[in-house]
Amino acid sequence: MPEPSNVSLEVLKDRAKFIRTETVRLSRIAGAGHYSSTFSCAEILSALYYSQLRIEPSRPDWDDRDRFVMSKGHAAIGLYPVLADLGYFDPAELETYTRLGSKYGDHPDMKKVRGLDFSSGSLGHGLSVGLGIALAGRVQKKNYRTYVLLGDGEMAEGQIWEAAMAAGHFKAGHLVALLDRNGLCIDGHTEDIMSIEPITDRFASFGWGVQRCDGHDLPQVLDAFARLPDGTTGKPQVIVFDTVKGRGVKRMEMSLDWHVGNLVGEDYDDVMAELDAGLKPYEVEPAE
Amino acid sequence: MVEMVSRPYATAFEKFAAGNPDILCLSADLTSSCEIDGFRDRYPDQFVSMGMAEQNMLSFAGGLGLAGFRPFIHTFGVFMYRRPYDQLMASIAYPRRKVRLMGFLPGVTTPGGMTHQSIEDISVMRSIPNMTILETGDATEVESICEAADSIDGPVWCRVLRGSVPRLFDTPIKVGEMRVLSEGDDILVVTAGITTEEAMRARSALANAGLSIRHIHLHTIKPFDHRQLLDHIGSVKHGVVTLENHVTEGGIGSLVAETMADAGVGKRLVRLGLKDTYAHGGSRPYLMRYYGLDALALVRGIEGLMGQEFGISENDLDAARIDDVHSLVKAEAL
Repeated sequence: MPEPSNVSLEVLKDRAKFIRTETVRLSRIAGAGHYSSTFSCAEILSALYYSQLRIEPSRPDWDDRDRFVMSKGHAAIGLYPVLADLGYFDPAELETYTRLGSKYGDHPDMKKVRGLDFSSGSLGHGLSVGLGIALAGRVQKKNYRTYVLLGDGEMAEGQIWEAAMAAGHFKAGHLVALLDRNGLCIDGHTEDIMSIEPITDRFASFGWGVQRCDGHDLPQVLDAFARLPDGTTGKPQVIVFDTVKGRGVKRMEMSLDWHVGNLVGEDYDDVMAELDAGLKPYEVEPAE
Repeated sequence: MVEMVSRPYATAFEKFAAGNPDILCLSADLTSSCEIDGFRDRYPDQFVSMGMAEQNMLSFAGGLGLAGFRPFIHTFGVFMYRRPYDQLMASIAYPRRKVRLMGFLPGVTTPGGMTHQSIEDISVMRSIPNMTILETGDATEVESICEAADSIDGPVWCRVLRGSVPRLFDTPIKVGEMRVLSEGDDILVVTAGITTEEAMRARSALANAGLSIRHIHLHTIKPFDHRQLLDHIGSVKHGVVTLENHVTEGGIGSLVAETMADAGVGKRLVRLGLKDTYAHGGSRPYLMRYYGLDALALVRGIEGLMGQEFGISENDLDAARIDDVHSLVKAEAL
């Protein structure tokens, strides 16, 4: 089974910050970006890529690597800098982000991006794709894991539950769903728009092993990864990460206005300074 | 200077639907993106939030239709037919329910890339029995799309423009008709949606080059008045050029080709549009230039048909219009 790298918490925290600041920087190149959906999964991506995934960036096609499918493809802006940082490609290529002809668009394209296992952008597909990859691995006698990062908005799509049912049915023990439970879809709170709770019970009833933790608390994230059972147990696994949409930038936290946005001028500088100072405890504004 | 109208659909839909209990407004987590957020807030009893679940939404609309409601479904065009195609066929089109499918961000009007660009929807919808297809090309057509769609006894596919939309016409859509924008006798130009504005940008340059252009704008793609199109084709000497925000297979270029072939018309036809390709993500003017959907591409197409060059460059065309970004915080994007 995969052996997690022994990376310090400080490094992982720093890489989560890097994911956020790069998201802000690249959004300025594009003129718009998906800030808040990316900020909510910054710690998840940091822990996954810098500690958990069994990968070799010098060999992106290595047969035994762990696979990763970013089902919530609009957060690709946070993934590209990580892939570059790990050596899949020259970080300078990101200066072309979203420009015509660039390999790096608003949604990720596996035919263009080195190190990307699958394309996405149309929500709801990723868990089925991940299941296919996971079962292919079983047929080919591989022991890699397949991780799928899901948004909570896309949990409303029927295909997600078709995949959840099939994964339980086929006992896909090497499939790991990572749910970025940031609470918001575009129109509002998921529980107002299309409720998905009790989400762990729902997965459990489909034959999945379930965990739930704070997705911004890196020790908890690492602990959840460490608790993933050996794939041979035959139970697909889901970790529900409770997160805050827009986490790290006060004005964006749990705001509906920053799903897509564009920071310019002083706002850009203010947000970069806020991110540079590191995460502050999350505070919910008292209701008026 | 062309008048720009801000969010014409928002205003028009509310005016049309408010207080009519048979009209229900359905949304799949793209409410403000489809300009129905104001309606949701003011008429909550007529608004149904379906979440990001299009298959369910379409069959649900078919069920509402059976009970006599006339649902107006709102989401990006791609998400309304690619995923729930079977539901569209079996729950809406075959039983001929009065469901109005308001598809936003047609063709390259979104920077979202392949997953967000409906580039083959007209081709798909033309092949569905019972389907009517309307496309908006200006603010007046957006303002009249609800009445036009709701006049049809069956499902209607609508390509709807959002945001800041130019006003090119002063009369509403009359289903089944076509607009004659100029009556020249050298070349027939056929456009629809956002390509009509592009053809209008080339108008004076083509006239200065001595070309007499007959220009037809289509807001109704199905049903289609083949007889009238054939009359226009018969009125020009050299041939026809079509320009569409869509792949050239199955769209209005194909529609014109089929009409000509069926009638045995032996004139030249040049079909401009996306050529067997997915489009990159990018801004609309950029994509229209890159994929040959703009005024200059039309000029080059006409030159190709005529077999001669007219020395027209970008500088000779009316200025391209750059859409205003409606706020810096929420840029016109996804």
